[in-house]
Amino acid sequence: MRTSPAKLLILIAILLVIVVELRTVLAFFDVELTVLQGIAVGIVGIALLLVWAFSPLFSESDQ
Amino acid sequence: MTDLFVDSYPKQARVVRSAFLTAYIALGIGALFGVLQALHRTDILRLVESPTYYTILTGHGVFLVITFTIFFLVGLYQWAVTDSLGRGPVDMRLTWAWYGLMSSGTLLAAIAILAGFLDDPPTVLGSELSADVLFTFYAPLQANPIFYVGLVLFVVGTWLAGADWFRTWWSWKQENPDARIPLPTFMVLTTMIMWYISSIGVAVSILAFILPWSLGLTGSLNPTLTRTLFWYFGHPVVYFWLLPAYLLWYTVLPKLSGGRLFSDPLARVVFILFILLSTPVGIHHQYLDPGISDGFKFIVMTNTMFLLLPSFLTAFTVVASMEHGARQRGGDGYFNWLQALPWRDPAFTGMSLAGVVFAFGGFTGIVNAGMNINYLVHNSLWVPGHIHTQVGTAVALTFMAGSYWLVPQLTGNRLVGRDVALVQVVLWFVGIVFMTNSMYRGGLIGIPRRSAEPQYDFDYEIAVGSIPEIRAQLAIGGVLLFVSAMLFLVLILLTAFNDDSEPIVDGTIPPALSGPEDSPRVLDDLRVWIAIALVLVAIAYAFPLANIVSRGGLFGPDIGPFPVVVETVASVLSTTDTGMYLEALVETES
Amino acid sequence: MDDTTAAREIDHDEFDPYGTLALIVLYFVVLTLMWVFTYFVEFLGNAPTPMIVL
Ligand code: HEM
Ligand SMILES: [Cu+2]
Repeated sequence: MRTSPAKLLILIAILLVIVVELRTVLAFFDVELTVLQGIAVGIVGIALLLVWAFSPLFSESDQ
Repeated sequence: MTDLFVDSYPKQARVVRSAFLTAYIALGIGALFGVLQALHRTDILRLVESPTYYTILTGHGVFLVITFTIFFLVGLYQWAVTDSLGRGPVDMRLTWAWYGLMSSGTLLAAIAILAGFLDDPPTVLGSELSADVLFTFYAPLQANPIFYVGLVLFVVGTWLAGADWFRTWWSWKQENPDARIPLPTFMVLTTMIMWYISSIGVAVSILAFILPWSLGLTGSLNPTLTRTLFWYFGHPVVYFWLLPAYLLWYTVLPKLSGGRLFSDPLARVVFILFILLSTPVGIHHQYLDPGISDGFKFIVMTNTMFLLLPSFLTAFTVVASMEHGARQRGGDGYFNWLQALPWRDPAFTGMSLAGVVFAFGGFTGIVNAGMNINYLVHNSLWVPGHIHTQVGTAVALTFMAGSYWLVPQLTGNRLVGRDVALVQVVLWFVGIVFMTNSMYRGGLIGIPRRSAEPQYDFDYEIAVGSIPEIRAQLAIGGVLLFVSAMLFLVLILLTAFNDDSEPIVDGTIPPALSGPEDSPRVLDDLRVWIAIALVLVAIAYAFPLANIVSRGGLFGPDIGPFPVVVETVASVLSTTDTGMYLEALVETES
Repeated sequence: MDDTTAAREIDHDEFDPYGTLALIVLYFVVLTLMWVFTYFVEFLGNAPTPMIVL
């Protein structure tokens, strides 16, 4: 695993926060995401994080 | 590893545990009320009639920002004084006396509030038992006298607690005449000075005006005066919530990060700045109040902007201390050191996330503080958004995280479910962002706060998303927060009963990198700061108060109590339709 | 993984908190952007206050 479970959890939380806040910011630039698109971005983001964390390509010992 | 606090000071540990217990009970009830509000406002689940919403809202405000925060404060401060001076109070009877006074005051106020749930509340002291006046108890809203008596007992209890700590420090000083005041004790004493100066306002407001009025001894009062006295206390009280969190950030957080506090003198300067600046700013809550002239409001706005300084100093000192820990643990680079921090530790992670939320919530505070922009957000849902990022997270989450570190030392039991605790603090972080983001956005388009049914006949002009979506987000956030609060309470409860276990926690706090010997001694001369603070308060308040009294009179222009109006409005609304009622209102106004 | 073990001791003179500086710069950039955003919300985003006409 590339990172520790604790850090992964926090990264996911921060990602969720960014998704929630980013929708507001993007709308300011006339990019309007619907709720579903927002959720989709969140899920894709989390999936990417998980792939990054667990991919054997980067495997490294914990901490 | 050193002795646990409970082993070195068993008697004091008992007081701290009792205070924390009261705080946690209040947190549980408050969180329940919070989620009920979130679901009620958004019309997802309405368990009570809408008028009862105000009983819940009063309970939520009082139990969380008075009971939970301040009981945690007295517990924490009792720990801090004992631990840093290495001795207990001069006389434990005084200690239990203030705890008893605070508890009985809380009980009285709680009874008055909760009686609001009864269909047929009894009559006590000449009026119906109820206190649907919200935690700001603005006249002409009127509660049963029991509520105000409870508040007074509670505040007097906190005064005695302060006296107890001053006394402990004084007798320590006799034995250590040349020593500097240890930092945690310094923080406790300065906080209490601020509290003495500011809580006078609310004491005068209640004892001289509101309580006699609610008892029917005086027929009237001057609402502008009592509001101004309330906010004279109402701004410092937010620092009374915040400073215990600061104490944890300055003393415990560097240690948890694996480092040492960057600068002890800077920490002292920050607390002194709070003595000086936190009171002469209260009128910034009254930008929209008629009867106070704009000039005074402008002066107060300037003071408020100065008040940002200690918070920025804190951001720097605390982050630098964390970085010190990270580097000692092998961290490197401009941002990479963040990875070297002990993220697995719920106490550390909770406090850090609380700090992050505080840094961004501070921005919304700057918005509130600006006289012109305040008009945009005043009394809108934006304000509870701000409240929940600041006291609802920076303070509450820090207290929860701090509990994970302290409770094992106070009980001698090992923390149960360390990993669940980590999930709990992260859940709070996510929940608060969901809830406050929707509150901020809702507030900007004018959704009111303190409203059971914020649905109207007109459409809000919404810039981003839709109203149902804002509502759903608020409700989801509220539920996440509720779940997180319950998780916290369960873990603490299990820990309290986790008897045959050895805690894995080290309670020692390493000395600061730059210690008190690097600072001038005058920082510890509390009399100087008290004197300057009093002068600033006089400058900021003498003229506005004189002005208010000379225009409205001490007892005001015949203001009677207001609770009756709820029924009037309800009956008007049920006989006519809302539009016609508004029309009538507009006609009488113009 | 214990949380308090220090890999090395760093004292006051060896410690330059440039990571803190980096974070603070980042924070001020975000604050500035938020102020710009507020400017649009407050001054440019709003039509004149609507009157209730009944
Ligand atoms: C379970 C978590 C919580 C939820 C779901 C929640 C929900 C809410 C909601 C929806 C409101 C707005 C009500 C309205 O204006 O109509 C509110 C107000 C408020 N909340 Fe919370 N809250 C929570 C936790 C907290 C905490 C931890 C604190 C402080 C320590 C807090 C302090 C306040 C205050 C002071 C108000 C304003 C009360 C008033 O307007 O009189 N809340 N809360
Ligand atoms: Cu304030």
